[in-house]
Amino acid sequence: MSESVNLAPPSDGEVLVIAEQILGELQPVTLELLGAGRYLADKLGGKLSTVIIGHNLGDIPQKLIEYGADTVYVADDPELQDYRTLSYRRVVCDLLETFKLPPHIVLLGSTTTGRDLAPRIAANFETGLTADCTELDIGPYEHKSKVDPSKVGLYEGCLYAIRPSFGESLKARILGPWKNPQMATTRPGQMTPLAPDANRIGKIVNIPVKLQKEDLRLVVAETVREVSKGVRLAEADVIVAGGYGLGSKEGFELMHELAKCFENSAVGASRKVVDLGWIPYEHQVGQTGKTVRPKVYIACGISGAIQHRVGMSKSGTIIAINKDPDAPIFKFAHHGIVGDVYQIVPELIRQFKEKLTTKGEKTVVHTH
Amino acid sequence: MAGPYEIFVLIKQVPDQGSKAGLNPDGTIDRAKAKRMLNPFDRYALQAALHVKRTYGGRVTAISMGPPPAVEILLEALEHGVDRGYLLSDRRLAASDTLATAYALFKTVTHVGKFDLIFCGLQTTDGDTAQVGPQLAERLSLPQVTYCEDFHLDDGRLHARRIIEGGVQFVDCVTPALITVANSYHPLAYKSFRGAWRVQQLQRNPEELGKYIRTVDLDIIQADPERCGLKGSPTIVAATEKVGELGGNCSMYEGHAPDELVGELIEKSNLKEFLVA
Ligand SMILES: Cc1cc2nc3c(=O)[nH]c(=O)nc-3n(C[C@H](O)[C@H](O)[C@H](O)COP(=O)(O)OP(=O)(O)OC[C@H]3O[C@@H](n4cnc5c(N)ncnc54)[C@H](O)[C@@H]3O)c2cc1C
Repeated sequence: MSESVNLAPPSDGEVLVIAEQILGELQPVTLELLGAGRYLADKLGGKLSTVIIGHNLGDIPQKLIEYGADTVYVADDPELQDYRTLSYRRVVCDLLETFKLPPHIVLLGSTTTGRDLAPRIAANFETGLTADCTELDIGPYEHKSKVDPSKVGLYEGCLYAIRPSFGESLKARILGPWKNPQMATTRPGQMTPLAPDANRIGKIVNIPVKLQKEDLRLVVAETVREVSKGVRLAEADVIVAGGYGLGSKEGFELMHELAKCFENSAVGASRKVVDLGWIPYEHQVGQTGKTVRPKVYIACGISGAIQHRVGMSKSGTIIAINKDPDAPIFKFAHHGIVGDVYQIVPELIRQFKEKLTTKGEKTVVHTH
Repeated sequence: MAGPYEIFVLIKQVPDQGSKAGLNPDGTIDRAKAKRMLNPFDRYALQAALHVKRTYGGRVTAISMGPPPAVEILLEALEHGVDRGYLLSDRRLAASDTLATAYALFKTVTHVGKFDLIFCGLQTTDGDTAQVGPQLAERLSLPQVTYCEDFHLDDGRLHARRIIEGGVQFVDCVTPALITVANSYHPLAYKSFRGAWRVQQLQRNPEELGKYIRTVDLDIIQADPERCGLKGSPTIVAATEKVGELGGNCSMYEGHAPDELVGELIEKSNLKEFLVA
């Protein structure tokens, strides 16, 4: 550390969450951030604010209050209909400038949007930004002066931003007590939202939108969401995922067939098979794919590499089918079948179909 | 169309996490001992930069920041058809976080000169933040297209397809612009024989090589050392903690015929709750 360290300037302990909506629907990560933000703000004795940007936002501001915000800043403008880096950046930077004291903490989700926007805001304010956190807390930071070691400064309200590092084998605590706001993005699916409370009281503040010509340099020609035909990994209750153990592209036909046995299911994949072109990237689960949290995750011929694990380890029940009894996936799966996918999966499908043809049997299958 | 384009591509050398060499017992990397490689995500950025050059004409400059061995990846880039490389190397850059890195790269880019397009990998495998590209774009006041998986140029305008939550977005913007390339873009093609041969020749002649690969430091690029390295970094890694070993509570089904294994699984797991009615 340099010899003369100034710790963060004074703040009101305010926490600001940059909310995210898509087509008027709040993103789950925003609710999680409000939960985390509420905890941090309470610990700091400050307020929890949030800013929502878009057009025709309906009851979103009210909802944000129900989920924990004290103040909701609303930026509503036709030009803000679609997320665009520069125009959203302008709104957030303008808002931050209006604070009498800088917010203590600013949080965004590490979605494609949050990861696009957060670094620009941090760079603009020359402040720190910790990516993809899995835990957030407040703690002390003790600064010992190198010039005069008897001088010890204790800074209480430091954001403890915890993120996995070195391929998830370590948890690193990243601190930035020298500058407010202290900023972080958090991985979807890691924090717990508060239960919504319709009686919670908060303030809704419309903020002026002052876009400049240069903020509109990028034009959105079309946005395509895979609503019906696409891969709905995020919402599926059951995910049947295939890996390199399938041996070939054709193995995914079997995955689809197994998935069809379940209500609200989807097919996932490891990166290796995506890279091999056996299945499109939209199906990839993991560090560089999607993070999923289905009720059941069936991993077929997947070794359970760390980068895959981070994407699916929060699944309710993890079932692994792998012919290697020492495969790492058995270290964190709940149920493991040691066997060849080409023997096990067809048998699973057969037994399910058998159950389904005998109507009513589904409810009488032996339970202990 | 409308070339030629002045194209910059930012690449980084990272420890090879696939190799056990240089891994400390606590799982951290001993950078001195670790095997080194071109950041896998940057391979897509390189491919994108070379694609522009081949399709529309232009010149590709690879820019990297790191200790002296990082020159290896600039040579690799030359083998792939990049025209020249710049390495920013300076001890005062040690422990730079993303903000300080983006500042140093900003100074390097402006030192190298004018450009139409800057390509970056989506993220690195040793930092994993995906922040440096956008932070550089902020300092250069550029529009950016992150998570770009395809693009073309038309009269200097960039038309791109980018990944968004649950879908894709088609955008277009003026150049200059900064693009971070998703790993769903085309993989890097094989090195050309000519490229590899040329680099081999260059390596025999350090003086000639120096014309293609320049190493610069903070003084040359006129960067403020106070804004670099540990001093210029608003964040620090304060502590690391090993993530506990996993597991032990997996119910294993093995050693029987498939129908018995499956029967047992269906009975003991909650799978049946989700079957189609
Ligand atoms: C920066 C980076 C990011 C990454 N991001 C991701 C990511 O997002 N998602 C991801 O998944 N990976 C990711 N990876 C790759 C990851 O490290 C692994 O390489 C990958 O997950 C392995 O895929 P796999 O399990 O399908 O293949 P393998 O590791 O090859 O495992 C195949 C498994 O199948 C079993 N098997 C073989 N034949 C059969 C059979 N007939 N029946 C049953 N079992 C069989 C084998 O025992 C083995 O366990 C990333 C890597 C890096 C470096």
